[in-house]
Amino acid sequence: MIANLLIGGIAAGSLYAMVGIAIVVVLNITDIANFAQGEMAMLTTFFAYWLLQNVGLPWWQATPLALLFGLVQGIVIQQVVIRPLIGAPTLSAIIATLGLNIVLNSVAGMIWGHETYTFPSPFAFSAPFHLGPVPMSVDSVVNIGAALVIIIAMTLFLRYTWMGLGMRAASQNEMVARLMGVSITRTSAIAWGLGGLIGGLAGILVAPSLFLDTNLMGAILIKAFAGGVLGGLNSLVGVFCGCLALGVTENLAGAYASPAFADAITFIIIIAVLVVRPEGVFGTVRMRKV
Amino acid sequence: MNVRLGACAVVTLALAVAAPYLLNAYGVYLVTLTGIFALVALGLNFLVGYAGQISLCHAAFFGVGAYATALLTEKAGVPYVLSLLVAGLFTTIVSTLVAVPALRLRSLYLAIATLGFGVVLQKIIFEWRSLTGGGGGMQLAPPSVAGHPLTATGLYELTVALLAIGLYGAHNLSRGRTGRALRIIKESETAAGALGISAARYKIAAFAISAFYAAVAGGLFAYLVGYINPESFNVGLSISFLSMVVIGGLGAIGGSIVGAIFYVLVPELLRGFNNDAPGLVFGALLVAVMVFMPRGLWGMGLRLTRRA
Repeated sequence: MIANLLIGGIAAGSLYAMVGIAIVVVLNITDIANFAQGEMAMLTTFFAYWLLQNVGLPWWQATPLALLFGLVQGIVIQQVVIRPLIGAPTLSAIIATLGLNIVLNSVAGMIWGHETYTFPSPFAFSAPFHLGPVPMSVDSVVNIGAALVIIIAMTLFLRYTWMGLGMRAASQNEMVARLMGVSITRTSAIAWGLGGLIGGLAGILVAPSLFLDTNLMGAILIKAFAGGVLGGLNSLVGVFCGCLALGVTENLAGAYASPAFADAITFIIIIAVLVVRPEGVFGTVRMRKV
Repeated sequence: MNVRLGACAVVTLALAVAAPYLLNAYGVYLVTLTGIFALVALGLNFLVGYAGQISLCHAAFFGVGAYATALLTEKAGVPYVLSLLVAGLFTTIVSTLVAVPALRLRSLYLAIATLGFGVVLQKIIFEWRSLTGGGGGMQLAPPSVAGHPLTATGLYELTVALLAIGLYGAHNLSRGRTGRALRIIKESETAAGALGISAARYKIAAFAISAFYAAVAGGLFAYLVGYINPESFNVGLSISFLSMVVIGGLGAIGGSIVGAIFYVLVPELLRGFNNDAPGLVFGALLVAVMVFMPRGLWGMGLRLTRRA
């Protein structure tokens, strides 16, 4: 029983973690909390659905194409909407992403309407996977695996490639990074593209277990932010662990404490943690000059 | 300048008095709603615009105010205007409970913590069925004020009166000690501390003031719509309140009113098209306002008038 709850929690947490990583990559490099991340992912998922159902591609062709769409979408949005906002007050940028959120939601509503669709899963009829005595659905295994691949790939990318190094430099000190020849517009475009790609993957993975509609990502986006804050927004590993912890807590609170208060209990725990560690569990305090 | 300001005030007052006679019932409803939202935005501007804090639980304060007013009026038989005040004070106390643990948090961390408080408050209203009626909500009959049932026009006039008091209060607070202290805290808490300003005390004060405004507005809102349920006071509404403040202009009292007008009027003008068109245009406008006027509509207006 408890093992099942833990696995379920980790699987849900993995989805939050993917969205969380997408948010954090954008946040650390461009200083903008992207509230449109969820709707960007939703649009990518609808694009994947269109490829699968209307164009009739098999899933292994549709998924990479949809992810490419997510990447391009992120870059386009960064170039059109976000670039002019560089240097604006942080809250203005956040409100702009909220506006974008509404726009993308309406665009999806215009094209696909507000009814719900069933998103086909290639793993729907596979037999559950057994980890010792604990059965795990293949969906959960795929979610957890995808999140692990993303966190490892992102860490390697940011540590060991020139582009990743440039991005980290830009997030620490824009001026010096510029002097060293790092193009800020290019790094932030890449960050938004990666955000769109990773978020889109989360959307495609979550869609089969929920129903696909225009509100697909609303709740997940908030959970991803909450998990990120819990772990500490300036650490990729922190965000990953925070989101997993959030998924597990939610599942356990729902099962053992009270299903009605599961969300409330989860948030109370988050607040309690933040009171003790205001920068999140893995977060580091940035020194600020007066 | 003062003559012009006086003339503006007189014209505004005349329009405010005449509005219910010039507009149809729906128009009065919209104007009242704008007034109520303006009241919330005025309070929230203290917290966001002056103190530089962020809050995603003001919809919950708005809701607590609405429920407290409704319960006092309906179940305890307290006169409506008095219960507005009592509900406001009650919510202020609740908000201090939120503010104290939130003191150490900044930016997104604060946003998520306040969001969490909003969820908890909303859940308490939802689950306390014996008192609040739970998810079924509460149906409200017009309250009687001075022996007569309150009409739509009456509620409108009450809203305008409270908004005027709110404006006066906000104006005084912003130019007085509190406003100055909050502005320094926004710039740098360390500098504020060096000047002997207790950041904690003023941040709690900003929270409390903004919650009081939100709660009174909530009490008005409950009787404007005549039906309240916990679902309406969700994060989405908190985000809308925040957007009003930012669109209007952070740290500008006039901006709060402009923001509220924008928020009620624009979707209204766009109604009647395709279902999704209003959302599309409204969202695009939000983006455009932020891209072209990062200081909000009020800041843009000021720049234009100064240049002229």
